[in-house]
Amino acid sequence: MIVLENIALRQGSFELSDLSLDLAAGEYGVLMGRSGCGKTTLLEAICGLRKIESGRIILGDRNVTELPPAERGVGYVPQDRALFPTLIVREQLAFALVLRALGQTEITRRVDELAELLGITDLLDRTPDKLSGGEAQRVALGRALAHRPLVLCLDEPLAALDEELHDEMCRLLERVHRETGVTILHITHSPSEAKRLAGCHFRLANGKVQRDE
Amino acid sequence: MSGPPPSGFRVASDKPFLVGLGVLGGSYLLIIAAMVLADLMFLDYGDRPVLGPEMVKQGRYTGGEATVAVEPGRSYFFQRGENEAGLKLDDQSVTGDGLFQTDGSTVTLLPDQPGQNKPVTASLRPKARVLGIAVTNHVATVTTDVMHGLLWGEFIRVSGTDAPGWDGVREISDTTTNQLSFAVADGTPPATTLSLSKPNPLVQALRSRDIRFSIKLSLVSCTLTTLLSLWVAVPIGYMMSRFEFRGKPVIDTLLDIPIVLPPLVVGLSLLILFRYMPEWLSDAVVYKWPAVVLAQFMVACAFAVRTMRVTFDQIPQRFEQVALTLGCNRRQAFWRVIMPQARGGLLAAGTLAWARALGEFGPILVFAGATRQKTEVLPTSAFLELQAGRTEGMLAVSLIMIAAAVVVFIIARTLGMKRIFA
Repeated sequence: MIVLENIALRQGSFELSDLSLDLAAGEYGVLMGRSGCGKTTLLEAICGLRKIESGRIILGDRNVTELPPAERGVGYVPQDRALFPTLIVREQLAFALVLRALGQTEITRRVDELAELLGITDLLDRTPDKLSGGEAQRVALGRALAHRPLVLCLDEPLAALDEELHDEMCRLLERVHRETGVTILHITHSPSEAKRLAGCHFRLANGKVQRDE
Repeated sequence: MSGPPPSGFRVASDKPFLVGLGVLGGSYLLIIAAMVLADLMFLDYGDRPVLGPEMVKQGRYTGGEATVAVEPGRSYFFQRGENEAGLKLDDQSVTGDGLFQTDGSTVTLLPDQPGQNKPVTASLRPKARVLGIAVTNHVATVTTDVMHGLLWGEFIRVSGTDAPGWDGVREISDTTTNQLSFAVADGTPPATTLSLSKPNPLVQALRSRDIRFSIKLSLVSCTLTTLLSLWVAVPIGYMMSRFEFRGKPVIDTLLDIPIVLPPLVVGLSLLILFRYMPEWLSDAVVYKWPAVVLAQFMVACAFAVRTMRVTFDQIPQRFEQVALTLGCNRRQAFWRVIMPQARGGLLAAGTLAWARALGEFGPILVFAGATRQKTEVLPTSAFLELQAGRTEGMLAVSLIMIAAAVVVFIIARTLGMKRIFA
C-alpha cells in the first residue's frame, strides 16, 4: 500500500504541494505526466531520497515519513538502472541480502530464485558492461526485489527498449507482479504501456495527482 | 525521391585541422622525449682518469704556436679550447679530447687560426701515477706523483692489482694534496700495478652516503605524503562533490590556494605558522624530517583533493541512492558502492601526489632546510650538487629522480590496467 497525504516538496524553484495519492496493497499503479512535472521527484520522495516539507508517506501499514531509505522497504529501479559497475550480477542481486546479514545458503537460494523468475540465470557472473539494455533492466529489477520490498518504484523502466523487448518486459513485469504480489508504482510516458499494465492510473498535472478510472 | 546529390556545397578538407593537431601534439611529445634523452646522453657513463694540475700557462699564441714541456712516456689528458685546432707531439697530432701518451719532452698546442695572437684556451693535465702504497690497520694510503684534487667522501675506482679486496670502488676516507686513503683488505700490491680512476657520476651518486640518505628520505617522505594526502583528499573530495553547504565556494577557493601559491611562499607560510605553535611541536618539526613531509603534503594534497573531487563528480549520485534504498547507510554506500568505482581516481590521485612530492623543492628548502643526511631529499641533493659546482652530480641525481618517477608511473599504470582487464 502506498499512501501520500498532502505532501509538499521543493527542489530549487520547482515546487509540488498538497499532493495525495492512494494505491492499495498489491495493486499495479501507473503514474503519468509530462516530462518535468515532478514524477521522478515524487518517486524519490517515496523512496526517502528527497526530504518532503510537509505531509505523510505511508508504505504498507507504516508511516515512513521520517525513516531513512534503508528502512522503508522499497525497491527502487531508477530510469538509468544504475547497476553497480564493479559488481557482477550475482553480487548485485545479493547486495541487499548481504546488508541484512543473511546466511550464505539463504542468499544463494534467493539469488537463484530471482534469476529464475527474471530469466537471467546465465548472466549471473557477468559485469554490467557486458549486459544488453533488456538484460540490465532485468538485473536492476532483481536487485530491487531481492529484499522482498512491500513497494516497488519503477522510473520509466521500459523507456529505452525496442518494440520487441518492450513487449517482453511488459510480460515480465506482469509476471513479477503476479508472483510476488508487490505493490508497484510505475512511471511512464506511454499511454499504451499504462493501459496494458496498470490496474490503477494516476496523472500528475499542475501539481496535483488525479486518479483516472 | 532519389536524385543526384545536391551540388554547390563542398565542405573543406579535414586535413589541415588534423595535420595541425598532429604537429602541435607531436612537437610537444618530441620535446618531452628529447629532454629526457638529452639528460641520459649528456652524462658520461665511463670512468674518468685522476688528473694532476693544469700545465698550460695562460698566454697568447704570439709565435703561432705554444709549447709545453712534458715528461716522456707519460699519459696526459688534453682538452681542446675554443682557439685550438689540436696538439702536436713527436710525429703525430691529436685533435680530439682525451688521453694520449708522448715519448718526446715537449708537446705543441696548435692554434685554430695561426698568427691571430689569440689567447691559449686548451687544457693539458698529467694523469696521476701511484708512487707508493702504505697500509696500516686495513687503511691504504696511496701517494700520487701529482696533486690529485680528490676530496674526502668521493669515490675512487682501484684497478690493476691482483691483491684480493683491493680492486673496486672505494670511498676516500682521508686526503692530502698528493695522498689519499681508503679501506682495504690485507696485502700490499706493488705500487706500479695500481691504477686509479674516478667512477662515473651515477656510481659516485649512488655510492655517496649523502645521496643514499636523500634517496631513502625521498622515497619514505613521498610515500608518507601520498598516504596522508589520500587520507585527507578522499573525504574532502567526497564532501565537496556530494554536499551543498553554506560557504562552499570559499572552501573551494581555499583548497586551490596551495596550487596557485608560489611554492616558496607555501614554505615560508609554514615556517611562520610554526612560530605560533607550542615550542615542543615546532622543535620537532621545523628543520627536521617532519617538515619535509609537511611541506610536500601541503602542495601534493591539493592536487589529490582536486583529482578525488573530479573522480567523485563523475560517479552519479544515483548509485548511492539505489544503495540507500537497498539497505545501506551513507557509510556503507560509500564503501561498498562508491569507493570501488573510485579506485582508478584514487590511483591517479596517489600517483600525482607522489610525483608532486618527489619534485617539491622550494617549500622544503625554506621550511626544512638543506642539511645533509637530515632533511636532504633528492631535489635538495641536486641543488647542493649544483652549488658545489658538480653539474654531473646534479644530473646523476636528476636521473635517479627520473627513474623513480618512471617506476612509480609504471606501477600505477599496471595496477590501473589490471583493473581494466579484470
